[in-house]
This record gives sequence, C-alpha cells and structure tokens, in this order.
Amino acid sequence: MRLNQFYKFLFLVILIPFLSSCFEVIEEISVKNDGTGDVVLTINLSQSKTKVASVMLLDSIQGYKVPSKQKIQQELNEAVAYLRKSEGITNVKSTADFNNFIATISFTFKDVSNINNITKNILAQQKIKATNTSSYTYNKVTKTFSRKYQAISTAKTEFNKLKAKDKAVFNGATYTSIYRFESPVTSSTNPASNISKSKKAVMLKSSIMDLINGKINVSNTIQLSK
Amino acid sequence: MKKILIAISLFLLFNFAQAQDLVKKIPSNAFTVATIKGDNVFKLMFVKDFNESFVGKKLLTGTSKSLDKNFTSIEDFGINLEKNMYYFNQLSDSITYNCFLIPIKDAKKFETLIDNKEKKFTQQGDIRTMVLPDSTSVIKWNNNMLYFVTGSISSSFFADPAKSARYGIKDIRFQNDEAIATDSAAVAVDSVATTDYWQEIPPPVITKSHKKTKTTAKKATGKKKKSTKKKTVVRPKQEVEEEPIADAAMDATEAAPAAERVNADYDLYQQERAEQEAKKKRLAFTWMSAQAEQIFNGTYESIESNKSYASSLDNTAIAELWVSSLQDVYNAVAPAIGTYGKAGMMKGYGSLNAKLYMDKKSFRISTGLELAQEQADSYKKIMNRKLNKNFLKYVNSEKALGFMSYSIDTKAYLEEFPKILKQTYGSFLGAKMEEEIDLGTDLFSLLLDEEAVSKVIKGDALFVINGLKTKEVTYTTYEYDDDYKQKEVTKTKNETLPDFLFMFSSEDHRLINKLIKYGVNKNYVSVENNIYKILEKKSPIDIYFLIKDGIVFFGNSLSEMQGISNNQYNNKISKLHKNLLSKNNFSFLFNAKNLVGKVPDSEIGGEETAKKFNSTLEKMGNVYMKSNPIKGRLVSADISAEIPNGHENALKYLFSLIENAAK
Repeated sequence: MRLNQFYKFLFLVILIPFLSSCFEVIEEISVKNDGTGDVVLTINLSQSKTKVASVMLLDSIQGYKVPSKQKIQQELNEAVAYLRKSEGITNVKSTADFNNFIATISFTFKDVSNINNITKNILAQQKIKATNTSSYTYNKVTKTFSRKYQAISTAKTEFNKLKAKDKAVFNGATYTSIYRFESPVTSSTNPASNISKSKKAVMLKSSIMDLINGKINVSNTIQLSK
Repeated sequence: MKKILIAISLFLLFNFAQAQDLVKKIPSNAFTVATIKGDNVFKLMFVKDFNESFVGKKLLTGTSKSLDKNFTSIEDFGINLEKNMYYFNQLSDSITYNCFLIPIKDAKKFETLIDNKEKKFTQQGDIRTMVLPDSTSVIKWNNNMLYFVTGSISSSFFADPAKSARYGIKDIRFQNDEAIATDSAAVAVDSVATTDYWQEIPPPVITKSHKKTKTTAKKATGKKKKSTKKKTVVRPKQEVEEEPIADAAMDATEAAPAAERVNADYDLYQQERAEQEAKKKRLAFTWMSAQAEQIFNGTYESIESNKSYASSLDNTAIAELWVSSLQDVYNAVAPAIGTYGKAGMMKGYGSLNAKLYMDKKSFRISTGLELAQEQADSYKKIMNRKLNKNFLKYVNSEKALGFMSYSIDTKAYLEEFPKILKQTYGSFLGAKMEEEIDLGTDLFSLLLDEEAVSKVIKGDALFVINGLKTKEVTYTTYEYDDDYKQKEVTKTKNETLPDFLFMFSSEDHRLINKLIKYGVNKNYVSVENNIYKILEKKSPIDIYFLIKDGIVFFGNSLSEMQGISNNQYNNKISKLHKNLLSKNNFSFLFNAKNLVGKVPDSEIGGEETAKKFNSTLEKMGNVYMKSNPIKGRLVSADISAEIPNGHENALKYLFSLIENAAK
C-alpha cells in the first residue's frame, strides 16, 4: 500500500463518516450614486477545511467525483474569462486559497444591469442549473436599488431528491449579501435585512437551506436619500 | 394465481423436522440446498407469540383478506412447524429446477389455502397435483409433504441447433431464404423427435393441428415449416383467431411489394418464434412433471449421502445453506456468460456453506468454504502465524470504537501466492499460457527474497481506533463593522477526530531506517524524541510514527505516541477483544456503544440527525467478524452481532426491529 493509498483509507475510515460542513457564500455589491460599482463574490469553506482537505484526497465521495485543485482553478479561470468578455464588466480578479479553501471573484461594473444573470450564466457554463433568478436595478433618478429574487421551484424538487446524507452537506451553510452605497439608506423592504449604523450598507444573512426550501426570499428594495 | 403465490410464500417463511425428515427426498445431485429449521425457530418464539407479533398479525390478516378466509394462527396453513423446510435446485445444461419441500401437518388445511373455483387439483391415490396457470410450475402433495417445482429452460442450450433439434425446437432468427438449407436438415431430425418424444409424452396443453393450406402458403414465401411438426404445436387459445389473418397476409405476399413482404415475413417470424417458445415451455413442463413424479415415487440416492453436505450440518442452526462447489457454480454459469473459462476456473474451491444462528445474546452467521487439499495446505502455511502479543498492550477496550487485525506469514504467503494464483486462474489464461505462468512464478521468487521481505514485514498488523479526541482547529471567517465593512478574522473551533493507531511487526528495521533517513534528509519527515512526524502538507491531520520493540507504529495522536515511547500506555483490554485478536488470523470489531454521544451534534449535521444517529448506535451491540482456524480442508469465518440487553433472544429482537421500522 502506497502512502497515498494509506491516507485515502484513513480518511475514508476516520473522517468522512461525519460529513457535514459549514461554508459561507458572500455577495458584496457596492453601488455608487452614478450606478457604477464593484462586486466581490466569496465562497469560504475554511470552517470545514479538515474535511475538505480529506475529501480532496479522494477520487469520489458519496458517488460524486471530487474535483482536483487544478480542476477548481481551471473552472475559476473560465469564470474569470467569461466575465472579462461580458459587457460593462472590467477589472476582473480572482483568488483561490487552497490552504483555507477560500475563493473570491471581484469585478467592476459600469451599470447595475450588467450584473444581471451573471451568476446564472457562470453556473450554466459549468453545467449547473441555477437555483434562482435574480435581477438587479438601480434608478439614478429615484435613487432606488432593488433586487428581484425568485427561487426556481424545480430547485427544491431537485434538492429533495438528494439523499439525506447529501443534503446534510448544506446544513450550517450560510448566504450573506451586503449592498453598499454612497448615500445613506432610508429604507430597506426586506424584513430580514439590516441597515448599518452608518446607514450606508444593508446586510442580509440567511441559511442556504432556507433559500433552497424557499423559506426565505432575498428580494429587497432599498431607497437611498435624495 | 395470487392465492397460490401467497401459499407458497408462506411456506418460504416457515417451515419445520425429525421423524421422516424431507432431506431424504433431496436428490444427491442437488446443487444448492437451503434449510429453515422449524423446530429451532419456534424454540425461540412460540407459535402463539408469533401469531401475536406484529409480523405475525400482518401476515395473518393479509392472508385472510386476500383469500377471503379467517386465519388466526400460522398453524391454519397446514404446515408442520416442527420440521425442516427445504429449498434445493438442480442444474443441467438444458434446464434448471427450483424446488421447495415443505412438511405438511394437515393437508386439508393446506388445500383450503389453494382452493378456488377455477383451479382444481387432480388426485391419484393420496397424491394431489396442481399445475399453476401458464404451466410454469407444478405443486404435488400428500398428507406429509408438499413439493413445488418450477423449471427454467436454458436458452444457451437451445441456441445450439443440433441439441434443440433433438426436441423438435428450432432457433428462429429473422432472416430469409438462406434458412431453407438448415431448415430442411432440421426437419429430418424433427420428425424423429416427433415420434420419439412428443407423442410419447403428450403435452398437457390444448393441441391443434394446422390447415394444410397454411403450410403451402409458407412454402411459397420461402419460410418452411413441416406439417409433421405442426400437428403437435401448442398455442394459447387466443392465438387461434389470429391465424387466418396471418394466413391472409401470407397469401398476399406474392403480389405485394417488397416492403410489405418484409412486414409479412416479420409477422411470420414472430409467429414461428412464439411457436418455438411454446414448444420450449411445454418441454420444460414435461420435464418438470417427470421430475416431480420422481421425487414422489422414485427411488434415488439422497443428498444425505453427500459427505460435504452431511458435514456442513449443525443442529443448533436456525437456517443453513449449502452450495455444492464454487467450481461447479462457475461451470454452470459459464456457458451463459461465454465459452471461455469452462476448463475449470475456480479450481480448488469446493463446497460453500453458511449457517445462521440466533441465541439469547447474538445473531451469528458462519460461513465455510471447502478447499482442495493442495489449496488447503497452502492456506495452512500462510495462516501459520499469530498476532504479535505485544499489540494487545495498545488496545483500550473501554474507549475503542473498533479494530481490525490480520496475521499471515509473509514468507509463506509470498511463496504460496503464485501457486494459488495459478490454480485459480491458470485455466482462464489457457493451457498455452501454462509455461508463461510457470516462468512468471519463478521470476517472482527470483526477484523477491521471501525470507528477507518477511523480516521487514512479518505479516501481522492491527488497526485500532482508541476513541475520539477533540482538537482545536483554526478557521477564517469574517466580521463586519458598523459600516458592514468586512474584516477577515481567525477563529477556533473544536473538531472531533478518531485517534487511530496502526501497528505491524518488523524484525529487520534496516530498510525502514534507511527510508526514514532519506525522509528526514528530504524534509518529508521530522523527528523529536524518536517520534517521527510525516510532513505532508496536503494531509489535514498530523501523522506520527515510531519503532519500538519490533513494532512499527503509526498514529495521529502525539500523546499516544509519547505514551508508547515512554511505556506509559494505558491499556485495558477486555476478554472478548483479547480472544478475538489473539486467537484468530483475521478479526474485525465495531463497538457502537463507545461512540454514543461522543460526536458533537454539529459534526453530524444538527441535533435531529445526531439524535437518530445516537439512538441507532445505542441499539447496536458489538459487531464482529473473525476467521476460524482451518479445519481439515475447510476455511471458515463468523460474523456476529450482539443484541442489546433487555431482549429475550435474537429472533424476538429482530421482530421488534421490524415492528419499529414499520411504525
């Protein structure tokens, strides 16, 4: 038995049985008064790094193929390349930390409408069906920022088809969205959202399970002071 | 049909033996024999208890409902619950029989089970016979026993035209004129078969002779069918009306365009195929009937005279299974999967047996495999090693979640392995390869110094998980200030990891020491107080190793390693664990109880999952597996699962599990 195989055996026996992980997905959008701005998307698996590192040593787990570091990096690069070609998107950057398992993508947009469907299209490129549709609008005149979010009903059905073991992976996973503005926020319609002390940012935190099950809707309309 | 199936399945569930055991009725050439021992089953659970159990009630109400009768006890089915019930099968190149032998206590009661208006049975003396719809199975019974047989024709046998022609069966393929040549050849044999066979045992299904006109029509289209054969063709009733249509189509073919002709040909092909299938079915039925008759009235040698079968029996088992030989299994299946391998793959492996036991403490399945003498000698040499006694010092039974051990003689293994390989797969590679295999075997021995290897790795090893340990790990997350500005912070959390220890014996450390030296030089390994740490960046856990008293240890707990190194290891091995490890060449144990409540809820995926997880574990006793010493030519292994306290015996526990699961 080669050392590598011994490792694989070990992880299979001692680590994997307790497979449930915590991870965070964070979406930050900063919008300037003129409608331009920046986006930072972060996925952070650091809390589960022991497990992720173990899983990465395996070829497949619970019937799913485990992507290699190279494959993940390649997919990240593909997403970056796609963004660079997208209209109104510039300054695309990505980072990948394989020690802590944190990946980010950031870019600048000319207009809020440029970011519509970006996530969906990136996912589609990787042949993953999006679980929701989101559209963002910013009205320069009324100074209203809104996000319309609609969970795709099939997502829930598809999710429910997963084995309990696989579903458990999403236990403890969170989704955070932060919107930042130049002008103070006067109102935010989503009751789950919070406005910062400085009044210049709105944050919404939810569990990914609730999002998939449609228990929470992240649609929001944010009014800035004129 | 439904009623009969229910009746049969009831018999599969129960059964029961002493005076006039039905084993006498099993022919000595039976291939597989399975037994359920009624008396042993109902020692663990009285019939009354069974009737009142969840499973029993379900069964009785279910049967009552579907048969529109009122059963209050399984004794109402008329089976003798104190005797053994048997399943056996017989294989031949042309047909496989699946047979059940069920002891009867009250034939009248049984008859009420199968009694219905459409299906009557026939009686000859005290033997009653019933043919199942579609003639796929035969049931025969008297006042003491019931016999059920179903036969399936081997399609590979009848794919051989020479063989199938003997029974008047043709292998029909959808094709055309070239068929004529073979066809007429077959016809010649057919007519012989007709007189020989078909008229001798008249098929018990409605027979109908065909119109001469049809035969001519067929000849015209080039698809020949001899009228001799037609006389005995069996057809299900509904087909009768279809025939004129088919005939009309035939007649039209002459004038019809090519496409239509193909269609007509295809119809004809379908029809002919159906005819041949019906013939095969009828043949199977004839054979089945003859076989059933033989079981009831014939005299033959019983399986009892088979030494291998007789020695596999154990009075205390609940159920038993015996398969005559792996080699035979292989050869029986081989024609179906291809022509290769017929020349004796799996040579050296004899009969196989499995026994199920249930008692006050546990479930146990014992399996055994008979080897050829040569093979057995090889295994004896390989197994001639006991686990290093010093290993036992490092098992803490109070905390251990489980372990796995094995001990073989590396030297003997390396020497015997090529031989075993050759015996098992030699014929697969073909006789032509024999020289090459010999050469390979010699090369293997030449390249490996078995003696030297066996000193580095003696052949015994133990993997033990001595409990769980909580380890603090850091992770990165974010905090947000008043402005929701993200700040990366490092937090810590506790992770529960099992502490494993892996050890193997080694006399000659020179090679290992060289490896270590190399590792240290290349920065793959670091060392502190004789404890080595593997510097593998990819690994999420630390792995240490050390060599002490001729044992190489690997583990993920530094404190355990230090304990081993300083002779301060806290060992408390239980008797069960000690016996399992020291007496067997292979052992495996999982102690679920030591895991209950040890894993934090968050690690399992929430409180609810954790609750389920823990309650399942609580209900489990020790589960263990061990190999037994080789006896004569028999290698065997046992799997046991202990039942939790508070249950009278394993059978009742099983019933309670089923009840819980159904709730």
